Amino acid sequence: MERFPLKSSVSKMGTTYQSVYKKGTNGGRHGDEDTVDITTGPREVPTTPTSHGTFQLYDHGRPSNASANSYIAQYFSTSTGDAVIFTGMQGDTDEIPGIGQYDDFHTIDWQRDIARDRMRHRYIVKKRQDSIWNLIKGAHDAWSGWVCVLLVGVCTGVVAGVIDIGASWMTDLKFGICPQAFWFNREQCCWSNDEITFDHGNCSQWMTWAQLFGESKEGVGAYIISYLFYIVWALLFAALSASLVRMFAPYACGSGIPEIKTILSGFIIRGYLGKWTLIIKVVGLILSVSSGLSLGKEGPMVHIASCLGNILSYLFPKYGRNEAKKREILSAAAAAGVSVAFGAPIGGVLFSLEEVSYYFPLKTLWRSFFCALIAAFILRSINPFGNEHSVLFFVEYNKPWIFFELIPFVGLGIIGGCIATIFIKANIYWCRYRKYSKLGQYPVTEVLVVTLVTAIIAYPNPYTRMNTSQLIYLLFNQCGISNSDPLCDYNRNFTDVNKAIEKAAAGPGVYQAIWLLMLALVLKLVMTVFTFGIKVPCGLFIPSLALGAIAGRIVGIGVEQLAYKYPKIWLFSGECSTGDDCITPGLYAMVGAAAVLGGVTRMTVSLVVIMFELTGGVRYIVPLMAAAMASKWVGDALGRQGIYDAHIALNGYPFLDSKDEFQHTSLAADVMQPKRNETLSVITQDSMTVDDVETLLKETEHNGYPVVVSKESQYLVGFVLRRDLNLAIANARRTVEGITGQSVVVFAGSPQQGVMSPPQLMLSRILDMAPITVTDQTPMETVVDMFRKLGLRQTLVTHNGRLLGVITKKDVLRHVKQMDNEDPNSVLFN
Amino acid sequence: MIIKLFYIVFVITCATLVSASYEDKRCKCVCPSPAAVLNNTVGSDRKLYIGNVPPNKCNCDGVILPRVGELIKGREQEFCPRCECKYENRNTTIIKVVVIIVIWVIMLLVAYMGFLICLDPLINKRAKASYQEHTNEDDESTISGPSHHMGARGNVLNRVTHQQDKWKRQVREQRRNIYDRHTMLN
Repeated sequence: MERFPLKSSVSKMGTTYQSVYKKGTNGGRHGDEDTVDITTGPREVPTTPTSHGTFQLYDHGRPSNASANSYIAQYFSTSTGDAVIFTGMQGDTDEIPGIGQYDDFHTIDWQRDIARDRMRHRYIVKKRQDSIWNLIKGAHDAWSGWVCVLLVGVCTGVVAGVIDIGASWMTDLKFGICPQAFWFNREQCCWSNDEITFDHGNCSQWMTWAQLFGESKEGVGAYIISYLFYIVWALLFAALSASLVRMFAPYACGSGIPEIKTILSGFIIRGYLGKWTLIIKVVGLILSVSSGLSLGKEGPMVHIASCLGNILSYLFPKYGRNEAKKREILSAAAAAGVSVAFGAPIGGVLFSLEEVSYYFPLKTLWRSFFCALIAAFILRSINPFGNEHSVLFFVEYNKPWIFFELIPFVGLGIIGGCIATIFIKANIYWCRYRKYSKLGQYPVTEVLVVTLVTAIIAYPNPYTRMNTSQLIYLLFNQCGISNSDPLCDYNRNFTDVNKAIEKAAAGPGVYQAIWLLMLALVLKLVMTVFTFGIKVPCGLFIPSLALGAIAGRIVGIGVEQLAYKYPKIWLFSGECSTGDDCITPGLYAMVGAAAVLGGVTRMTVSLVVIMFELTGGVRYIVPLMAAAMASKWVGDALGRQGIYDAHIALNGYPFLDSKDEFQHTSLAADVMQPKRNETLSVITQDSMTVDDVETLLKETEHNGYPVVVSKESQYLVGFVLRRDLNLAIANARRTVEGITGQSVVVFAGSPQQGVMSPPQLMLSRILDMAPITVTDQTPMETVVDMFRKLGLRQTLVTHNGRLLGVITKKDVLRHVKQMDNEDPNSVLFN
Repeated sequence: MIIKLFYIVFVITCATLVSASYEDKRCKCVCPSPAAVLNNTVGSDRKLYIGNVPPNKCNCDGVILPRVGELIKGREQEFCPRCECKYENRNTTIIKVVVIIVIWVIMLLVAYMGFLICLDPLINKRAKASYQEHTNEDDESTISGPSHHMGARGNVLNRVTHQQDKWKRQVREQRRNIYDRHTMLN
């Protein structure tokens, strides 16, 4: 039955209904689900399966069955074979163009879109019998989801490779150039050169700007020239990035994750995932990362991947024309974005599930998994950093940790939570100031000033001068023979073979490095507060990882020196007395990084998975979990929201968080529109003329209208959207002959056709006959839950079966804000 | 024409830059300087050895001993464990192509931005003026000769212009949302 649902003949269908009728009302809905879309030609057509089922039940429930029976009999007597009409199907000549699309800044109706897709799918399944060509079409339709995510994965991997290579080259352009092959960065330029001195990592092929201008390698003159060039390049890159964003695609600025979250929760922002946004975001990201600003490319990668998902979904009408289905592709794309940003495919899938996605069925989970896998594989094949991994700061650890260390790890979690809260509060304060003050009128100037200040302060300190990814790599790394940074200046004896790396007294270099790192911590924190939110593409994963890594490394060195000075203390339970493999400061840096990132974004599961995919060490899951949890607790205690939720609230996006709980006792009647003394605008099912409807559309601004039997009875028939109504009337005036202002608009029922009256306008097609309704005494908790879980756009409120009012998503959001003592007018769109 | 010119320059740039040859694989080893082993001194100076060997030979025996075997004869067992060897590879062609493409894209965007800022207002003004003159004259018969060919071309041009106008409107709307009204992306 499932396979050939549309093959059944008329008489068979009749028996199905009869048996359903005999069985009673319980099985009715399920029984006729397969046959409901077979409807008859001339009569009006129920649009959704459920509406049909409900109608049946309703009729059967009546005291007198006579009328119902006769109705059904009449219903099927007029059936003439396989005349099937589907809403939203493709290739239907009667289809009104534009139905099922949404306007800018509107909320989508998940239920309706999914019902449309089900209808379309049924149509294709039915057509499959007709010819080979249709069979191929059906097969193409079935696998198009997988093909689409495959393409998204491939493109995301390639774009990530371009960004990685471009940004690493351009970052080193600030310091010098490789004259023989200008497309190499410093590392690549000195690829096969033995003579790298460990002081500067320079070789003879690589020319610093000072050398190019004839100065010596060292000295005051060289320093000043390098300093100047660093500032000039940084300003140039930042200015280019800001003006490209301003000129071509203003939507490309910022991190994009708050907006992606809002879009995935069912909101339309036209152009936010478009072609120009993609190009400018990629180019702008390369430029802004290279300008040395305190920002990262990981957040924008999610936006870039989502742009790719949106653009590629237009190749497949199943996804391109259906906003709810498109969001499945976008969820998978977001997973691919994180997958390439961190080289962590599983972490990407979990990130999509935990942080950005709203509607995440298992099918999407598998597609995200596949998409993330493909993207990671492609990026890994491009090998942008030459280290066989997709990120610069990949480290491999295999050191044990002792039980006592959980205490400093939890301590790091607390520190991380505090740093994160400071950051979020300060950043939101600054962004709010920018929004409401004159500062917001000078976006490019602001970028330039922030860049100039960052460049001037950052250059003297070697830890802020270097690329932030490199800094994280340095901090994560353990001090081995190949690490010559002052951070590894321990008084080690390299001559003893068996104990190549053991704990040792810190040399003066380490103490100096700690001071520099503390300065870097403060500087990075302050600069990131001012940077996140300027009008260039910028993410904050990397800065927060760096903040945490610095704090963690400092704590780690402290604990290590403690273990060195007092190896016999009971805390270490004797495990440090032998001297090797005791405390690894790099591990502390990693845990600290996870703590700050967890505090800023309030991720937990996905964060831990991302971190352990970064390090390839399963044995550090417990420390990372402890730190992430501690940081989340501290963060939640000090400030309610993570940075993304705070930015969503700041911008007033209509995002109904599925993680929050609604804890008030209000009822649906308190929230619904209209309030007292106002009238509800309704459309009657078969008595209003076209002129009446157009007047109503002109006088009111609602996005949808309930359809009732008559104004007196107010019995609910269905719900019709403003946009659909406009389109349908315009379409009918164009195509149907004889439609005038006096034509009666018929949504449902069987009106009496006058002899002299103009032809009726049948609009049953655009009527949603299964609107979700609640009674006026329904607690708001239930209503909010329905909005979240079903993804509703509106629900109708009834009392004693009569229509009373409407609750839209905007009403719910405003109510939630009001109950939380916030300004309800900050919700901007609907 | 301009696109062709760009293409030629692009090809020439690519061709000239192929000449410099770089290895795609390396085995990179870091060791303490041999003096540290010989004299038993505490030192932090390290030495880098880079060799072009297959991955399975990327170790002390394959890369370091052929070079300094004489120096540390008999003490290899002491010296080798303290060296770290890493095999790395890269693809110079991908790097080159990507970097050149990035430069080109940035240059094209900057050129187009310059065009939109400086020349476009002028051209638009003239086009509008000529269009109005034309409608005022109101004689379509004067357009003759190669009108058919021009028509098709003009059609494409019109469509491009139409698309461009639409896009410009959208960008203006976005700019208003973000820079003026501050309703988004703060």
